[in-house]
Amino acid sequence: MTTTMVSPPRTPRVRTTSVRTALFILKARAAVVLVALVLLFSYLAPAFFTANNLTILTKHVAISAILAIGMTFTVLTGGIDLSVGSVAGLAGMVAGFLLTQGIAVGGVSHYPPTLICIAVAIAVGLLVGLLNGWLISKAGVAPFIATLGTLYIARGGALLTSNGKTFPNLAGEAARGNTEFPSLGQTFLCGLPMPVWIMLLLFAVAVIVLRKTPLGRHIYAVGGNERAAQLAGIRVPRVKLFTYLASALCAAIVGLIIASQLEAAHPATGESFELNAIAAVVLGGTSLMGGRGSVGGSLIGAGVIGVLSDGLVMLGVSEFWQMVIKGIVIVAAVAIDQLQSRVQAKFLPLLLGSEPEGAA
Amino acid sequence: MSLMRNDIILEARAVTRRYPGTIALKAVDFSVYRNQVNVLIGENGAGKSTLMRILAGVEAPDEGELLLEGAPIALASPREAVQHGISIVHQELSVFSNLDLADNIFAGREEVRVGVVVDRKREEERSLDALRRLRKPMNVRHQAGHLSLGSRQLVELARTLDQRTKILILDEPTSALSNAEAQALFNVIDDLKRSGVTIIYISHRLNELLHLGDRFTVLRSGRVVGEAPRSDVTRQWIVERMSGRDAADRVTEPSVVVEELPLLRVERLTIATSGDEQAERAMVRDVSLSVRAGEILGIYGLLGAGRTELLECIAGLTARTSGAIFLRDVLLQLKSAADGVKAGIHLVPEDRQRDGLIPHLTIRENIALAAARAFFIERKKETAATRRLAKELSVAAPDLELPVTALSGGNQQKVLIARCLMCSPSLLLLDEPTRGVDVGAKADIYGILRKLAKQGLGILFASSEIEETQALADRVLVLCQGRITANLDRTHMTDEALFAAASPSAPTTPRTYPGAALA
Repeated sequence: MTTTMVSPPRTPRVRTTSVRTALFILKARAAVVLVALVLLFSYLAPAFFTANNLTILTKHVAISAILAIGMTFTVLTGGIDLSVGSVAGLAGMVAGFLLTQGIAVGGVSHYPPTLICIAVAIAVGLLVGLLNGWLISKAGVAPFIATLGTLYIARGGALLTSNGKTFPNLAGEAARGNTEFPSLGQTFLCGLPMPVWIMLLLFAVAVIVLRKTPLGRHIYAVGGNERAAQLAGIRVPRVKLFTYLASALCAAIVGLIIASQLEAAHPATGESFELNAIAAVVLGGTSLMGGRGSVGGSLIGAGVIGVLSDGLVMLGVSEFWQMVIKGIVIVAAVAIDQLQSRVQAKFLPLLLGSEPEGAA
Repeated sequence: MSLMRNDIILEARAVTRRYPGTIALKAVDFSVYRNQVNVLIGENGAGKSTLMRILAGVEAPDEGELLLEGAPIALASPREAVQHGISIVHQELSVFSNLDLADNIFAGREEVRVGVVVDRKREEERSLDALRRLRKPMNVRHQAGHLSLGSRQLVELARTLDQRTKILILDEPTSALSNAEAQALFNVIDDLKRSGVTIIYISHRLNELLHLGDRFTVLRSGRVVGEAPRSDVTRQWIVERMSGRDAADRVTEPSVVVEELPLLRVERLTIATSGDEQAERAMVRDVSLSVRAGEILGIYGLLGAGRTELLECIAGLTARTSGAIFLRDVLLQLKSAADGVKAGIHLVPEDRQRDGLIPHLTIRENIALAAARAFFIERKKETAATRRLAKELSVAAPDLELPVTALSGGNQQKVLIARCLMCSPSLLLLDEPTRGVDVGAKADIYGILRKLAKQGLGILFASSEIEETQALADRVLVLCQGRITANLDRTHMTDEALFAAASPSAPTTPRTYPGAALA
């Protein structure tokens, strides 16, 4: 019996560069939306594009952007961290406790210096991250469940520190030598608020880790195909542990910034922040399945959400409509993301300039 | 084709099916003869399963058509195929172990009263009826989870019988059965044939095929390469067509110079699945072998022989139950694949898509995945190293910055080999080194592995393809049901010897031929 080869259908020769450009625009859509929103609000609300408002805006954006940077790490491995809001609250409360109550040794309260207070607060946050990482990579608990559990644990811990009360007056006292705390969230450097500088620093570190180190590549690999990563010799548990530590670090820093801005630590701080962070990450084009995305995207995503809420407030849109619009934007972003993957898959053979069959 | 057209109940005409990177079927013509056992044979990746999925409505062909009783039909779903009287019993049984037999037999097509209430009584009666026809009346209220594999298969068959199946597809039905269970199945097949059912039968086991089959079709690399009635078919005929050449035509490669000191030594290795203490059901039993630097050792075995389990254990991915593994006379205590990589043992897995590639990363990143150890990636060095490897392994890609998914199967496989080489390994393990790879790339990969062995790398590969085993191995161990049943050197790796040793009925004492190094 003889069989005849069926010749494969001819692919139209499209200029590779034009395809690449089209894909790039589709990829950078979050940035396009951000610019469009800024232009729109500047046009509709004259007070929007003023130095004063932009300063307030960047402060807001910095908070959710820092959380989103940490969240990106966990989402890139195919995980999620629901505990960030609680960790932020807990870290603020730990700092508040140390600054206002001190440590009682033999009936006398000792007040540690501000830097020690900050370090201890961050360490407590990292402890929650460590617990998350251990639960997920060693005990095999699904990330959603593990961090849902630590969401409650950390929030309970925050409430327990003060028995549910607020620690006011974090400005400290000169006699105790701990008056520097408010500067963390309130000072300006070269015209930019401190939280924005912290955000930029964390962003730079995150980009370097993800783009320039083997660890970063391993994070993408674990998210892209965990079993393949394991077989290639990557220590998957370690990689996952790192991402939850990174996320907890960012969350703790956010908690400290908020406490510093308010000069008070409130145990309910950070409630539902995790949802904003996830929204920012998803808007930035990071796939919740893992393996695809970037911190740059998350930063832009946080920008979109920040600009959207501030702009809508300035336009006098009701709070209820704001929620509806925010929801629509998030859902639309993910729908477009799916479209992009399909379009990209379709154009891939064109980029190769040959049939995928290769030898056929 | 002297038979009348009327004898053909189902026909596939010029069916072509493409997957990203490969063509699974190329203009395949396949005729199914009424009331006969139609045997389909071919090595792994020949396209058998794809063809069956098309006949059962699971997949649609890219080109070509299906004719039932001479009239063209389109099967959009398995449900439509069932409505046309075509049923399939898959290789992996799809029995719900938490449901009872009657529920299983009627899953997805429950008998109802008043439109909503399940008619248990009717279901149970009809289930029992179907099981009686299979000569195995079981209690239909028993949970399916308690059944043996053979009985589970009967439950699936009962489901198809109750659907008044005219054409029944059996995909490797005996691969998991004991000999007694297999014999019972053959009796059932005879009964079914007598009651007017047409059977399409897929298996690797020549003995049972020659015993059961009426019509034979051989597939190789997605094409039909032979078709004949039972009277014209011999073992020789099948083997020649499957491997694509005369049994006498042998590939002779100069044997390579090998060091005497073994690189890898495996002693009395037993791997049992977790919680299963019985050695009888162990995946790998009492296996000893050694690989020297510069040597290519093949492990040949059929589906379920324990090939993959053996390689994964040596790579550190799974734990051993007993036995010892030495690398250069040092006892290995690997706790993970990462430990194995650190020791210089790399595995190229059987399933590229599932276990090998990271889809969103570029070709360069996939190659360099495991290599970078410093704190920062040295991009220039890495680009140069991956370029050199890609060139050495003739990876056909215009740009290493493209996603790895853009490559064909053969080139993806080269990428995975390059990933291992980037870490300068001492032992390379390959599970089905050329599965789903086109012919040209196959030859490339064999050449690459030969060259690597000459450079002093130890290579251990597992394969279920005779042709591949013969083309690549300096020496081959045949694995059957977890045990080594033969140790053959190049001059003794005949099709017959490999087949005989790999078949479960073969004697269990290892046969060693003169001149073959001891395992």
